[in-house]
Amino acid sequence: MIADTLLRALERIHGHLGVLGTAALLHPAILLRRPNRRAPLAVAFATALVSATGAIGAYLYPIYRSRLKQEIFIHTPAVGWIFERKEHLAVGAIAFAWIGFIAHIVAPNLEPKHKEPLQKLAQRAFALSFLFSLAVAVFGVVVASVKGF
Amino acid sequence: MSKRSPLFALTLVNAVLVIVASYALLRLFDVCFKHEPNPATVIWSAHIAMFWRIGIGTYAAAIASPMIWLFARRDIDRALNVTLHATMFVAVLLGVQGLAFP
Repeated sequence: MIADTLLRALERIHGHLGVLGTAALLHPAILLRRPNRRAPLAVAFATALVSATGAIGAYLYPIYRSRLKQEIFIHTPAVGWIFERKEHLAVGAIAFAWIGFIAHIVAPNLEPKHKEPLQKLAQRAFALSFLFSLAVAVFGVVVASVKGF
Repeated sequence: MSKRSPLFALTLVNAVLVIVASYALLRLFDVCFKHEPNPATVIWSAHIAMFWRIGIGTYAAAIASPMIWLFARRDIDRALNVTLHATMFVAVLLGVQGLAFP
């Protein structure tokens, strides 16, 4: 069984990466408001950060369910439901970051009439991903302040 | 890059949208029509519903992808427009499900 110290470390890394990822997502959401603005590094970095956070979260989730979930729902059910909300919205944060990444990477190689809507899509997707990620970060801090590994 | 690029990207983007929409709809269905035990009474369950929903969504996306490809190939401008609107629709769907029907 995985050591508690390692779990605690992973939990903290997950949380800190999540907050960093939220900040990183705001960058392309603002940059890409200007049509024709290229920001492949910012886009790739933000998407990688939010995906890595999600991967650690997916690893920790089954352990959370077996060790913490019931206890949280017994003592503070409202916080338990906040955790559930966080998980659902995290799916959106990651998915919309990937949509923005795909659209932004492909857009410059297209004809102008196809390029413009894809750039708009990329900006919109990163703005949505940021909003989801912000909610996830806030909910995550609330849950972490109540119970952790 | 080849002329097919927007088609491939549009198909990928819409496949991701299908995953997210399926996830939200499956959870909405669970909350509205299935009787779930109180989480405070469940010690442990091997069934991780969240992973299942993502898996089913991915399967649905794989099924839908050829249809998305065909639709986009027929009218790429319309497909781009539909994708822009679908992005907002799916975001609202997941937002409402995530916040109001956890």
